[in-house]
Amino acid sequence: MPESDARATAGPGQAEHRLTITRIFDAPRELVFKVWTDPTHIAQWWGPSGFKTTIQEMDVRPGGHWRYTMRGPDGHDYPFDGHYVEIVRPERLVVDGTIHGVPSQGVWTEVTFAELEGKTKVTVLQVYSFESAATRGAPIGWNQQLDRLTAYLIKV
Amino acid sequence: MYLTSVLNRMPIDHLSTTFAALADPTRRAILARLASGELSVTELAEPFEISLPAISRHLKVLQRAGLVTQGREAQWRPCRLEARPLEGAADWIEDYRRFWTQSFDRLDAYLNKLKSKEKADAGKRRKSDCGSWSSRA
Repeated sequence: MPESDARATAGPGQAEHRLTITRIFDAPRELVFKVWTDPTHIAQWWGPSGFKTTIQEMDVRPGGHWRYTMRGPDGHDYPFDGHYVEIVRPERLVVDGTIHGVPSQGVWTEVTFAELEGKTKVTVLQVYSFESAATRGAPIGWNQQLDRLTAYLIKV
Repeated sequence: MYLTSVLNRMPIDHLSTTFAALADPTRRAILARLASGELSVTELAEPFEISLPAISRHLKVLQRAGLVTQGREAQWRPCRLEARPLEGAADWIEDYRRFWTQSFDRLDAYLNKLKSKEKADAGKRRKSDCGSWSSRA
């Protein structure tokens, strides 16, 4: 199966999908890494506009737990939690988490911080996996090719 | 709205069904073929090197996920692509893309605020070395 590079949360029997997104920030890498791994800083920017994030727990070391709540503009709370898998200061951060605290909905996140002439290029790779009665026992194989297929199929 | 809409619009179990149905190269190929128009099961099976019953099994998975419907009107019972569940899956991903785009915008603004504060603090102290990020990191 060509999709065997799916990591950790995308275990057998889980359907998965992945997203990669990149942004260059005009700030030194140490600072970007710091605001990403410090609870006071992260609460200042984490989440879409209009959302307020509170940090309940943030133990930034391998195996350490984190727990955030994002409060939406409608007052609804969205809890997320998980643990840190890998921390290479100030280059790389790997985090395993769940969406809304539902164990069957996993989000595996890899963030890389690259130096770029005084700026910092941040790349986020997220792999979402779902396990339910529907996906249990199903072969995995959700990959980038599918993005194109999905886009194409919707268009036609 | 982010997340709320996703969860209301598309129960996670439906999403799982869609993703599971799509998690097979033959089924994706079937959908791609149907994108160009309706086909009978026999026509659909032609390019594949697997048996007709195997194709039927794949079609059943796609039908259960609501991605394919089969007409009753004509004798050849054409298979048809249903794009709506795909839109649900695409929307879900799109919401996450929005999460990151907007978080990145806020991070960008926050970093700029920190940098100007740092500059102002350094100016006040008239020392360039005591306020650097790395010394506090």
